[in-house]
Amino acid sequence: MVTRREVTAGLVASAAAGISAPAIAQAKPRIVVVGGGAGGASAVRRLSQKAGNKLAITLVEPKTVYTTCFYSNLYLGGIQSLDTLQFNYSTLGKLPGVTLAAVRAARVDREARLVRLENGAQLPYDRLVLSPGISLDYTSVPGWSKEAEAVMPHAWQSGEQAKALKQRFDAVPDGGLIVVIAPPNPSRCPPAPYERVSMMAHALQKSGRKNTRIVILDPKDKYPKQALFQQAWEQYYPGMIEWMPPMIFEEVKAVIPQTMTVETGFETYEKADLVNVIPRQTAGQIAVDAHLTADNGFCPTDPFTMKSLFDGNIFVLGDASIAGDMPKSAHAASSQARAAADIIIREFLMPGAEPLEYRSRCWSQLGAENSVFVAGRYQPTEEKIKLIESEISSLTDSAETRRQNYRSSAAWYSQLTGEMFG
Amino acid sequence: MALLPRHAWASPELRDKALNELTGGRPISDGRVTLTIPQVAENGLSVYTTVQVDSPMTPDDHVKKIHILAERNPIARLLTWHLGPRSGTAKVSTNIRLAATQQVTALAEMSDGSFWRDIKPVVVTIAACIDGG
Amino acid sequence: MALATARVSMPKEVGKGDIVEIKTLIRHRMETGYRVDSVGKKIARHIVKLLTVTYDGEEIFRMDFTQGVAANPFVAFTTVATQTGELVFVWVDDKGEEVRVVKELTVA
Repeated sequence: MVTRREVTAGLVASAAAGISAPAIAQAKPRIVVVGGGAGGASAVRRLSQKAGNKLAITLVEPKTVYTTCFYSNLYLGGIQSLDTLQFNYSTLGKLPGVTLAAVRAARVDREARLVRLENGAQLPYDRLVLSPGISLDYTSVPGWSKEAEAVMPHAWQSGEQAKALKQRFDAVPDGGLIVVIAPPNPSRCPPAPYERVSMMAHALQKSGRKNTRIVILDPKDKYPKQALFQQAWEQYYPGMIEWMPPMIFEEVKAVIPQTMTVETGFETYEKADLVNVIPRQTAGQIAVDAHLTADNGFCPTDPFTMKSLFDGNIFVLGDASIAGDMPKSAHAASSQARAAADIIIREFLMPGAEPLEYRSRCWSQLGAENSVFVAGRYQPTEEKIKLIESEISSLTDSAETRRQNYRSSAAWYSQLTGEMFG
Repeated sequence: MALLPRHAWASPELRDKALNELTGGRPISDGRVTLTIPQVAENGLSVYTTVQVDSPMTPDDHVKKIHILAERNPIARLLTWHLGPRSGTAKVSTNIRLAATQQVTALAEMSDGSFWRDIKPVVVTIAACIDGG
Repeated sequence: MALATARVSMPKEVGKGDIVEIKTLIRHRMETGYRVDSVGKKIARHIVKLLTVTYDGEEIFRMDFTQGVAANPFVAFTTVATQTGELVFVWVDDKGEEVRVVKELTVA
């Protein structure tokens, strides 16, 4: 295991000695980025912007079109169309120093320092940036499976699943029942299940389906922005949403996709019109297979560099990482990506340290023009990335403030996707 | 949404007055009662609470009533449970509203006329985004 | 499927003398009467006031509610299984309206 001191020493040594290159002269350091989400795309963009002519950057991402997970609940709620959430990777491919490998990465060979792709090709790297997102634990909800996700969608990874969820949601009749199974911690985007439910309630109301009910079965006793969500639900969607903590329902005993049944320790729901299963998650499989994860299934990283504590040549960004006080949010991934990109550039090209700070801002849409946020500034310490300042919306915000928030969230969305795709 | 002005609400004094009315001035002992309530309630709108009283629940020795009292809610007595020898246990749960950070009291009245209590502090706040990871 | 206003969860069959765990949930806004709407008008109080439970006609549990109980009240308690019979749950609100749920308990 590589400790932080060793990582720092390596940093200084590399910077002083220049590029650690194999015998065959390799003019440019090879930076391979796996995963083109908020972390990976931001890393590629930053590396290219600052040192594209001096680095050989390869983005390994099988998708040609990226659909943002962030803001996808607004698509579900009918506020945003799907195409507004979609971005083409070709823009990244045109940046200086960037090559796109539109194939899935299969495995990381840490010894040989290369990434094996699904088509058999190999990508050697000097530094690897892993931003693989999450892997879903299909065994964590009894009766649910990969096959069942067509019938009981998760929509916890965007694109096709977001469409599947919306299709089923739009078909829920008035007076129907929606069951949302919320995930345990740690999870990608902790407030998202509750934003999703808010957006469902908003769309149900708008379409005259005011007798439809939403039950949320939550393995957690509490969740982020809880007071804000529950106030909004009482105020805008009274009687539509029932949140159940473990004290009431104990656990989900089983789901039966064929009959749309959900069995709990309190009651059994039969012929539910929609069941949205958001399961337990771990880091993306490629990180798990590379033995970069801790017992909880996520990757411990150095707070100062975002390097894996197990491998000084590999950075792990975003949802796959354990990043101290930072939430698993797209903005956090982008902030970490910028830090990692700067570290790489310093290691190979420009010695000298700058004070490091991470940020995250997370919006939750409660209704049509009603958004709340939680934001944090973080600094690395020996122990972990620590929260140094945070801000959260108030229960007593005026309607105008909430409307301003909605407009700010749109600007935030533009900025974040701009950092990813330009 | 606005609420009644704070000065119209309960206070530790009003809570003590309510306790006095419920006990008829009799002494209250600490113990036998366990109030389980979160130390930090993210949301005061719905706080899940369990009270368990150490009692054999026989016809000769059982819990007759359990009250929950608040010191900084609009009213002091939030609810009363009525139990008896057919209850089997003196374990009850419900979800309550807490208007602010405060101490919550569970008061049990026994069949022998004695009173017992547990008191726990609860911080009511909006928490920032903690992903628990 | 539609969800009933009040639901009760308890085992269907138990042994004689067993402690039976009972959970109840009623959908009710529990409007406190303290809230004022957007034009400054007070929203009238409307709460559940009472839950009584009988087992073969005898009251085994009672809860007095005030506006200090949360919306969608969840109430859990226990009873001793004496003989096969009917448990009747009755919630009454401050308008005098009642919601009733009946459950059969089989005692071996």
